[in-house]
Formats: sequence, C-alpha cells, structure tokens
Amino acid sequence: MLTMTQVKKCYGDQEVVKGVTLHVGRGEAFGLLGPNGAGKSTTISMICGLVPYDEGDIQVDGLSVNRSPYEIKKKIGVVPQDIALYPTLSALDNLLFWGKMYGLKGAEAKNRALEVLETVGLAERGKDRIETFSGGMKRRINIGAALLHRPELLIMDEPTVGIDPQSRHHILETVKNLNEQGMTIIYTSHYMEEVEFLCKRIAIMDHGQVIASGSTQELCKRLAGGNQLLLDVEEAGPAFVDKLKQLEGVEKVVSPQQSEIHLYVKQGQDMMASIVSIASEEAVKIRQIKLKEADLETLFLQMTGRSLRD
Amino acid sequence: MRRIVAICLLEIKRTFTRPSSYILMLAMPLMFTLLFGNLFGNQAESAIHVALVDEDGSVFSKNFIDQLGNQTYVTYEVVDGKGAEELIRLQEVQGILTIKNGFLGLLENKTPAISFQHPPGSTTAPMLEQLFNQAIRSADLRIAAAQIGASYESKDWETVYEQLIHADEEIRGISEIYSNDAKVESWNKMSYSSAGFSIMFVMIVMLFATGALIEARNMGIWSRLLTTPATRIQLTLGYVLSFFLIGFVQFSLLILLTSVLFGVQWGDPVGLLVLVTTLLLCVVGLGMAIATIVKTSEQQSAVGMLLIISTSMLGGVYWPLNIVPEFMQKIANFVPQSWAIEGFKSLVDGATVGDIMMPILVLLSFAIVFLFIGLSRVRYQ
Repeated sequence: MLTMTQVKKCYGDQEVVKGVTLHVGRGEAFGLLGPNGAGKSTTISMICGLVPYDEGDIQVDGLSVNRSPYEIKKKIGVVPQDIALYPTLSALDNLLFWGKMYGLKGAEAKNRALEVLETVGLAERGKDRIETFSGGMKRRINIGAALLHRPELLIMDEPTVGIDPQSRHHILETVKNLNEQGMTIIYTSHYMEEVEFLCKRIAIMDHGQVIASGSTQELCKRLAGGNQLLLDVEEAGPAFVDKLKQLEGVEKVVSPQQSEIHLYVKQGQDMMASIVSIASEEAVKIRQIKLKEADLETLFLQMTGRSLRD
Repeated sequence: MRRIVAICLLEIKRTFTRPSSYILMLAMPLMFTLLFGNLFGNQAESAIHVALVDEDGSVFSKNFIDQLGNQTYVTYEVVDGKGAEELIRLQEVQGILTIKNGFLGLLENKTPAISFQHPPGSTTAPMLEQLFNQAIRSADLRIAAAQIGASYESKDWETVYEQLIHADEEIRGISEIYSNDAKVESWNKMSYSSAGFSIMFVMIVMLFATGALIEARNMGIWSRLLTTPATRIQLTLGYVLSFFLIGFVQFSLLILLTSVLFGVQWGDPVGLLVLVTTLLLCVVGLGMAIATIVKTSEQQSAVGMLLIISTSMLGGVYWPLNIVPEFMQKIANFVPQSWAIEGFKSLVDGATVGDIMMPILVLLSFAIVFLFIGLSRVRYQ
C-alpha cells in the first residue's frame, strides 16, 4: 500500500529525513515510533502530500505522491494530532463539511456522516456542538472526519493524546475493527501499549533515519536481548557496573541512577545467582531484582537512549 | 466548485450563527448612525450656537454672514457687543464672532478682519476657527477675482465684488430650483452617517471574518484541508467568496434598514451595486492582507481596529472632511473610506454609475493592491 524509497527532506542546511525506506502492506497496521524531533511528523506530512520530498520516492497504491497528489489524497484519511474541527458547529455539521471536502455529495455525505457517528459511538450527540464535548469525544469526531470517504490508508498521528482511559479504549477498539475490515493503518503514538495492541510491525525513527523496523516480537528478541533485569541497589559503584557488563549473556547495561541498573540479557533466570555473587564481592546491597520480558519500551530505550515520552 | 461552495457556506454559517455577529453587523452601525446623524443633524437644538457681532454692517459683511449661514451645524445669533457678552455669560453660545469695522479694507490689506472669542478649554473652538478661516479664505478669493475683473472692466473693484455676490446668489437659486424639479434627494446628515458607519462596520466585520484564516491556521484546519483532494486555489476562493458574501449581506441589510428606519435614499441601484461590490473587494483584500501579516487573532484585532478607526477618522466617516485642515483633506485621498463616501454622496445626490467612475476606479486600485498582498502572503501551514 505504501512504499518509501530513500526519501530525503531538507529544511535549509538541515537534513531532517535522511534516506528513509519503508514498506507497509495492504491491510497492515504499522507503528511509526520515535522521540520528538526524530522526523516522524515530516515523514507523515510527506506521505500526505503536505510537504514535498527532495529525493527518493513515496508511492501510495502504486501512485507517486509528488506526481499524483490529488489521486492519492482520495485514498488517504489523515487524523492529525490537533483537533482540527470547528468548535461552534455541531458534530454532524463538522462531519458533513469534511465529507464534502473529500468530494461526497448531499445525501451521500449525510448518510456517511451518520454512519461515522455510529462508528465512533457518538450517534446520539450528532447535533451537539463540538465545544460541549469532552476531550475524548472530540478525539473520536476528529478520527471520524478522516473516515467519511472510506479511505484505503488511514494515517493517525498521536490520536489519543490527553484523553481518558475509556475514550482511549474506544478509539483503539475502533481502529482495530477498521484494520480488521481491511483498512491499512499507520499509527504513531507515545504510548507503547497502544502500538503493541494495534500494530504487528513497527519502525523506529531517530535523527531522521529508520534505525529499526520489523515485527514487534522479532525486534524485541533481536535487539533487546530477550529479557530485562531491573536492579534496585544501594550506591552501586563503577566497579560493580563494569563486572556486570563482563558477565556472559549480558547484552547491555544502563544505569539511569546510582541506585538503579537495567541489564538487557538473553536469559534473565540464569543470571540471578551470578549477579548476587558480584554484589556480595563488591559489598553492594541489592534491595530488589525484577525480571521483565522485553517490550517496545525497553527496545526503544535501548535503541535511542531515551524514553518514548521524554 | 463543490468544495469552494462548501467552504463558503461553512464560513457564512459560522458567522451568522454567532449572536454577537448581529450586534457588530447591524446594531452597532445603526446606533452610531442615529447618534452621529443627529449630532451633525439639521435640528437647531443639536447645532453649535455662536454670537455674531457685525461692526461693519456693510453689504460685504452681510454677504460673509450669509456664507457662514450655509453651514447647517452652526447657528448664528446676530447681536451687538453687549448682547454677545451676555450670551457668553449665560453660556448660551460657544463664542463670539466679530466682523470688524472696515471689513473689506482689512481683507484687502491682509489684516485680520474678524475675531473669535471663546471660553477657555472650549472643545468646539478649534473646529469653529477652522470654519471661519475657510470662510475668510473664500472671501479673499472673491476680492482677488473682483480686483482682476475690475482691471479689465475699468471699474472700481468693490463694484465688481458686489456683482460677484449677486451672481453667486443667482447661481445658487438656479441650483435649488434644479434640484427640486429633478426630485433628487439631497445628501443630508443622516445619509452621510449611514454611509460612513456602514463602511466602517463592514470593515470591522470583515476583520473578524478574515480572522477565520488565522483561526484555521492555528487550529490545524488548514493543514487538514490540504490533506483532502482540494486544491489551494479552491480553498482560497472558498474563503474569499465567503468574506465577500458576508459583507454583501451586511451592506444590503444596512441599506434596507437605514432606508426604512431613517428614510435614507441611497440613489441609483445599479450605481450602488457597483460601488458596494468594489468597496467590498477592497475591504476583503484589506482584511486578508492584515490576516496574512499578523500571527495571532489578538494581533489581528489590535492592528486591524487601529487601522480601521484611524483611517475612518481620516476618511471622513465621523465628520465631514470640509471641517478638517487642508493637509488632512489631502491625506484623506489615500484612504478608501473617503472615496467610498464620495461615491455614496454622488449617488444620493442623483448620480448614476457613469458619474462615479473616479471613486470606483480608485477603490478598485486599492482592492487590487490589498488582494495582491493578501493572496500572495497566504500560507496554509
């Protein structure tokens, strides 16, 4: 559905997207992750045709974005991070307007707007003004506005920022259903659990490049080492951390604070005795050891050195 | 085309579903028209009273008094010196205008021929002084004309001056007869205020309407619009059309309401349509230019209101331009409001579209400049 080949974008002297190559298959749910300033938004803007790319090519359903922007825009639905709705108009009026902007005509636009209100679970609030809605309800209408023309590719840029758990759950379920009905989804979020819930494949971007891509399970195993051991200690010195790094099976050691050490290991269970032994040698008191399965959060931390929400 | 219409209808709906729009669009201009229309109205009680002492008592000073009497918003009470002082003491007049003895000779010798006394801190004194100076300049011109005429006709110039006065009265008489025969409604103070405040409040409403551009940009709506299959030209046309129609509806309602409520006759409908259309293009262009130069709605309100109110003052929206100094009358040529008022005045006085080509062309030039600035600076992201 989407193919990006060596796409580059510069703003002045600064190269913000450095040769990104990605492929998203038809019907797939794909997660695009990266810290702030990684180049995600520029990449999404280029796919939507908002920002022209300098080199490479982006194709949506076989059409080049730079050459056939209006054809492609008919196939894409975009859910922006901002709530891009008119607050003084009703939900139905907003949906009707966006439907018309996507080329729907009178009765067709109205029928679709009513259907979409059902889809996002706000059928009974259609006549109410957007400004009277909660944050979560606004987000749901914000998503609805991108669904009116039945897009083949839905691009969602942080669609759940600042909303309550109930609305988040509703949005995730809606997106999952749309994906199961065959809609291709590209999803960016700071919430790893959302990406893990929705997406089978992800790409991680940092400093304008894709630094890892593949299925979430495969990446967790390949890059994070399998497990994570979290040590809560009293005053760990550099000698203790050095000895941990030398242990067989340890992929990486990160110590965000003196009392906290993260070990990325192949088999966490087998390492416990060795760690306790080294602590005893170095006179370091261990308060707690936690064994955690590697997930996207640990993968992201390992890859970028930053938490996703930093 | 459907997308242009969709944007246009949406913006119109947004404007007309806001109750505050009606206050700004209709209530305020009607209120200002009523207020200012009566302030500068024909009623004696709303006029400025001045005591007039004619020490000269000649045919020339009487003619000068007649000339002053043409200003309908100032009334004169001819009294002697003591009577004038009594009127000032009783605060029944705003000042004393004295025509000095030997009025004509003084004028000829370029020495002050009149004096004006007023209480300290009088707010009307500067305007009255301006008015009297204009009348004196006009009398000066007559003397110069009489002196030139006298040199050709071998008569003394006072005789020629007297002839000039009589000729002027005859011409004025003919003009009045002509107006009555043609049944043309004259440009009165209410029609002046109606035109002036309609122009000003259409500009203010347009300022808020074009604020939709800033709002759409800041809310991410422009970016979202660009992800739809609409072209930038369609989006721009949609907005421009909506602003124009909002202004058109407002102006039409104001014309209707001032006709019904205040009896204002706006004149030739075709001329009115052309003039309003040109003015609206100019106002839409100005609104868009401001909206694309500033970054926030607050900046737009501050800059826009300052610009509209100051140019309205300069352009003669609040008061007739003939009471302001000459240099300000020249500045007025560079603001659209003065040309629009000029056009409306001509229409009210019976002109047709062909007679108001000058104001139309000047307003069209303003429109082209403003629209060029506005359209060339539109940034959708």
